[in-house]
Amino acid sequence: MFLIILQGLAWTIAITIVSFSFGAVLGIFIVAGRLSRFALIRAISRIAIELIRNVPPLVWLFIVYFGVAELGPKLSPFAAAIVTFSVIASVYLGEIYRGGYASLPKGQLEAAKSIGLNRANIALRIVIPQVFRTVSPSMVTYAIGLMKDSALASTIGVVEMTFRANQITQTTGQGLTAFTIVGLIYLLISLPLGAWARHVDQRVRERYVVI
Amino acid sequence: MDISTGSYLSAKNITKYFGKSLVLDDVSMDIKSGDVVSIIGPSGAGKSTFLRCMNLLETPTSGEIEIGDFRITIGLGNSEPSTKELAILRRNVGMVFQSFNLFPHLTVLENVSLGQRKVLGRSKEEARAKSLQILERVGLSEKVDVYPGRCSGGQQQRVAIARSLAMDPKVMLFDEPTSALDPEVGAEILAVMRELANDGMTMMVVTHEMSFAREVGDAVYVMVDGRIVEHGEPHKIMSEPTHERTQKFLSAVLGR
Repeated sequence: MFLIILQGLAWTIAITIVSFSFGAVLGIFIVAGRLSRFALIRAISRIAIELIRNVPPLVWLFIVYFGVAELGPKLSPFAAAIVTFSVIASVYLGEIYRGGYASLPKGQLEAAKSIGLNRANIALRIVIPQVFRTVSPSMVTYAIGLMKDSALASTIGVVEMTFRANQITQTTGQGLTAFTIVGLIYLLISLPLGAWARHVDQRVRERYVVI
Repeated sequence: MDISTGSYLSAKNITKYFGKSLVLDDVSMDIKSGDVVSIIGPSGAGKSTFLRCMNLLETPTSGEIEIGDFRITIGLGNSEPSTKELAILRRNVGMVFQSFNLFPHLTVLENVSLGQRKVLGRSKEEARAKSLQILERVGLSEKVDVYPGRCSGGQQQRVAIARSLAMDPKVMLFDEPTSALDPEVGAEILAVMRELANDGMTMMVVTHEMSFAREVGDAVYVMVDGRIVEHGEPHKIMSEPTHERTQKFLSAVLGR
């Protein structure tokens, strides 16, 4: 039983890592759109963000999995889960990035301009490293949330951890044991990650805070 | 494009609106190479805005900025300077801010070296050597590898001066560089600035330090309500101001 659950864990981790990675990159576009010079792009980004955030992830998952199948090629359950969670992650991570950017003292940007750095160098050397450091604890927290949400993928048939536990319950009736093990595994991954996030946060504060 | 060495900085007819309010009204100023000019005046007079127009951190509504032979005209038909114009201007004009604005994620050495590497294209070794030399000049040799967060305000401002100097600017702009510091620490910064002036650096200084304006400057400009109301030789302006508004301002700040 434990082995079957561990097989499911591989899929849980796969969904989490792949969606988080796509989301982390797409999030840059989301924040770029949100802070764009052009009002139209800002408006579109804003609408997209609100639309994605205010509909439950499960509903989005069904829209992508069943809805897309109606319109064109059928996505595999795993692909549908990746698409859904990547897009959702991009919106949340984009908003996290935006918060990090907002907390960056703008005087630094002026100083960077005044020594002649161009836009690319300001982004690469000044903005991104600092935003990344301030937001990395929030990103880890989000990753934990994403891992927990990935259990929803069981509903469309991705054979991840929760799906496996459900399967075991159906066949053996040992639901309590199966789901307790699954719960413990989620816990064992989440808790250390959360602790690590707090540690990073603390270190960043101590090291970089300007008197 | 570089500019010739006998260069000077001049502003012609700089006008700036923030929305509908006029903050700079036809301001002109001229600095010869090696001169130090102080800009004084009451708060809200537009001194900092004017200084920020000189390296186009603030885009004037209209006017002309000239450094050496290089001229940028802003006004009808050209409301924004081009990237190239900005690059040339900023390569030649350094700026020191009231709030230091160091990069907190970079060490002191990296703060001073970054522009040299990315803008001037110096090698890592060249930049390091130059940075060390300048940091020694401002008395910070022992702080090279620490982060700005571990430096006092006075030390941070000296790093900021070093960061600007490392770019070999033709002109340095100082925007109330001592206003965020204790008087004692401020004096330290003023001493560094005096040295720079003695070494022939061309400087434009917005300041509330009247003794600096009097003793170091080659000229003092008095700005009130977005206009230059008076300018001239420092001792003369300080002791026999002719404009009524200057008299009022000086008697307030000098307490007489």
